[in-house]
Amino acid sequence: MPNLPERKVGIIACSGEEIPEGAVTRLAALKVLHELRRGQTVTICLPLFLAGGEGDRAFAKFHPTITVDGCDLKCAAHGTETYSGKPAASIVVSQLAAEHGIDEIGERRCLNLSGQKLVELTAGRLTELVDQILGKKDRSHTGTSVEEPADSNQSGAVGCSCGSKIPVTVLPIAGRPVEVIALPLIFNKVRATHPQMSDAATQDLMDIVKSFNDVPKEAESAWREVIVREFEAHCERERLK
Amino acid sequence: MSESNPQVVVVPCSGIGKAFGSVAREAGYELCDELRPDTTRLVALSKLVLGDKEARERVRECPAITIDGCKLMCAASLVKQNGGTIAREVAVLDAFRRHKDLKPEGIAELNAEGKQLARVLAEEIAAVVDDIYGAPHGGNHA
Repeated sequence: MPNLPERKVGIIACSGEEIPEGAVTRLAALKVLHELRRGQTVTICLPLFLAGGEGDRAFAKFHPTITVDGCDLKCAAHGTETYSGKPAASIVVSQLAAEHGIDEIGERRCLNLSGQKLVELTAGRLTELVDQILGKKDRSHTGTSVEEPADSNQSGAVGCSCGSKIPVTVLPIAGRPVEVIALPLIFNKVRATHPQMSDAATQDLMDIVKSFNDVPKEAESAWREVIVREFEAHCERERLK
Repeated sequence: MSESNPQVVVVPCSGIGKAFGSVAREAGYELCDELRPDTTRLVALSKLVLGDKEARERVRECPAITIDGCKLMCAASLVKQNGGTIAREVAVLDAFRRHKDLKPEGIAELNAEGKQLARVLAEEIAAVVDDIYGAPHGGNHA
């Protein structure tokens, strides 16, 4: 049976190469991705929102996302919100350092002991936020659910540029083009359990579409009409193969 | 070299998931901090994602060298998107093809081969910087 991509918590670090706090964001993100919440978290390189494709830009629409910035410019937070989706939470390392009375964290290429302590603090804060997000059943900004934590033994926690592409389909809904996330995968999943179109199939279809996409209440009937039509066309194409 | 020459802007990729991205960043540090500190300046790629005014002006006014860790070439792409002129696009994968014995591994901490590849790459780019300026300048020349 076809699997929908697993929704995890996305961590996006600014990795700001100019300052040591940028190194802290990168190292803290990697610690959470590889060690502390392996299998429950995924990442993407920030520049891919501009240099990549629509599948990359769908990252924060699909995964609830935490941004980690080194300084108050907040490149990761602003860049993610502008080009992908509003982050669920954000951390600024320089602020975290001030809260804990940490300064002089070493050089951008080589952190000193205080810098390493700041990495641990940032990773700890990130982990708390990951757990909070995974513990929530509802995403306040989309009204959709967050899936249960994945198998912590699963490898490949870091999606990077090559493992994080989410299928995006642009459909005309209520007279304007709308990006719909993960549609071919949703169709395959519903088709596997409902070989014939039925009310139950339509209900399942819309339930899954709404869990991956922000469907405004007032536009739900317009969405249903388009999605069902696309699903029927998809089934017909599959039958002809 | 004339003192009025602008510094060469160096923009490494921000690759977080692969060792080649770490090599790009390490090569940028080696070049800007050790080999050519007077004639180069590192610019964080994240600032170009944000469209930071100062970073945009810098890549528009100075020749840029980009160092990318994968074929998506984010650094080169963003410098161009921000109106910059690229003096040299460097791909870590090309350097690795020339130095197959230096296979980088590790992301948070590069292995010795990865660090050596970064050093070799930085030395190659330092020669490009010298070409732009017409002579070696500053730091510990390789």
